[in-house]
Amino acid sequence: MTTPLVAGLLAGAILSGTSLLYATLGETLVERSGIVNLGLEGLLLIGASVGFALTAASGNPWLGVAGAAAAAASANLLFGWLVVTRKANQLATGLGLMFFGFGVSALIGSRYTGAVISGLPRWRPAWLGDVAWIKSTTLFNYDLLTWLAVPVACLAWWVLFETRWGLGLRAVGENPAAAFAAGRDPAALQYQVLPLGGALAGLAGAHLSLAVTLTWSEYMTGGRGFIAIALVIFSKWNPLWAIAGALLFGGAEALQLQLQARGTGISPFFLDMVPYLLTLLVLLAWGGSRRLAAPASLGRTFYGSS
Amino acid sequence: MRLKIAALSGAFVLAGVLAGLLAAPVAFGQTPGLIIGAVYVGSVNDYGYNRSFHDALAQVARDLPGVKVIEAENVPESAAAESVLENMIQQGAKLVVPTSFGYADASRRVARRHRDVAFEFAGDGDPERNFGVFFGSTQRAMYAMGVAAGKMTKTNKLGFVLGVPIGYSLGNVNGFELGAKSVNPKAKTVAVVTGGWSDKAKEAAAANALLDQGCDVVSMHVDSPATIIQAVEARGGMSIGFQSIEARALAPKGWITGLGFNWAPFFTQIAKDVMAGKFSGQAIYRGLGDMVVIAPFGPSVPPDVQTAVKKAGDEVAGGFNPFTGPLNDNEGRPQLPPGGTVGLDQMGRMNWYVDGVIGTLR
Repeated sequence: MTTPLVAGLLAGAILSGTSLLYATLGETLVERSGIVNLGLEGLLLIGASVGFALTAASGNPWLGVAGAAAAAASANLLFGWLVVTRKANQLATGLGLMFFGFGVSALIGSRYTGAVISGLPRWRPAWLGDVAWIKSTTLFNYDLLTWLAVPVACLAWWVLFETRWGLGLRAVGENPAAAFAAGRDPAALQYQVLPLGGALAGLAGAHLSLAVTLTWSEYMTGGRGFIAIALVIFSKWNPLWAIAGALLFGGAEALQLQLQARGTGISPFFLDMVPYLLTLLVLLAWGGSRRLAAPASLGRTFYGSS
Repeated sequence: MRLKIAALSGAFVLAGVLAGLLAAPVAFGQTPGLIIGAVYVGSVNDYGYNRSFHDALAQVARDLPGVKVIEAENVPESAAAESVLENMIQQGAKLVVPTSFGYADASRRVARRHRDVAFEFAGDGDPERNFGVFFGSTQRAMYAMGVAAGKMTKTNKLGFVLGVPIGYSLGNVNGFELGAKSVNPKAKTVAVVTGGWSDKAKEAAAANALLDQGCDVVSMHVDSPATIIQAVEARGGMSIGFQSIEARALAPKGWITGLGFNWAPFFTQIAKDVMAGKFSGQAIYRGLGDMVVIAPFGPSVPPDVQTAVKKAGDEVAGGFNPFTGPLNDNEGRPQLPPGGTVGLDQMGRMNWYVDGVIGTLR
């Protein structure tokens, strides 16, 4: 029996959207502290390649997940050292991180290309598995990272908006001089959030190689890092809105393939553009308004402390 | 301060030299009587297209004395390929094999500059003095795969994932549907285009979309069948492989059969010609029984299906051309008049889906 379009779309959206959500959460936390990391694509690739390499070498996907998070966190710390301590330009350094990620991931992944892994195990609650129209789809049959995606987003929201640490972080992102005068250490807070954001980006990459594609090839992420950066703006730097954004963009990616599989007469080349068109439209609609609460010091280097 | 700058620049130069050394193409084989240079768009460990060339050239290096092979993987299909080709010629390669369709312009330009080097380009176009073109014609062999799919399907819906909709890929899906229809008139093939030869995430999503639509047998024309076969296997579907027969290791339950390339005899002959100084560029297309082989059958394939597939394979190897008119495309327009055929050398220009394929190209 064929799946209704909505169910197929939802399943595809969740499959594609999980890695987008983790990447967006990582970038949201880091941007809330005033640092814009354009190298998210590189972090995703590092996570994907390290995760795949560790899984292929050891046979244990959880080791791959942990390794991916650790590797991306370290890369983000390196980025942080350049941007916070050495006060380099954030945009240029971020792009440098992206190219670094391209190269390192290709180097790490080249030995393991073609390795066959079984990936992250999937699990579906038994009572859902018995429902007829769910059984034949991939709905609710997820690996642990997908099940945890929304809880992690809620946790990120809670940490940002309901804890003192989160308050300090947001203060640093809005006005580091004021935060410094109030006794917070902007550099320390930024150094604390960078590995956290990096770990989330590493999880996003690991999900891509260990749960979605079960393989590794160069530049596998295909621009997802940049879509995540746009999603951060779309979600107004709020982790809860990021869930909706990730579903929307994951759905856009799934939509074009689902529409092709349904035999609609729309050109596959046009459909291929849809996720990126959507990104542009979203930035047009949301990018310019001052009300939309970008952290006021986003991208600016703070020279006061150190 | 100046010392710092000098030290830093020294470090950069050293890093650059090291990178250059490390990036040099990988080589294997005995002391060179002939150096063969091969350029790949992906990795040789892909259970697919690139691996088929790697395996064949390794075989040639083993069989012929004095042959050495240098390989460059993950070379983009752009003008950047020119520098890789030039580099190989500088290293002494006298036979160069650009393996991907997208290297056409770059390799022709380099070939015209080096008339003493033989080129064998995997694709189509006019051969030149030192530029031969070749390919394994899988399109007619796909007819036999379609027979397998048409017999094994329970939903009468077959899925086909295409990477880039060039004529060869369209010929494959058309051959597939023609074969399926010949044994199962109700069989339809849903064609989904991912847009790239090797976009793993899209391939996984495409395989899932096809299964969501009720397709229970999926085949493909992408660089590596691995991701699609694994996605189909995970959801209990059946798969028909392509590019390399080794891919059957990925689907212990759902594998039906597949096509693979065997380039070794062809390259052995070409290498001998180059070493004897007798090389001349020609257009060589060979199909089932020569450059294209049928993979072993999976455990779930009943004997009568195996017989039917072998019979169809023998017919194709014997010269049967399923692309014989009258044939309409899937929008109702006649594409082949009665008695008209699509020859092996015209396959690259195909731009329509045959009736029975669900999909659009415009």
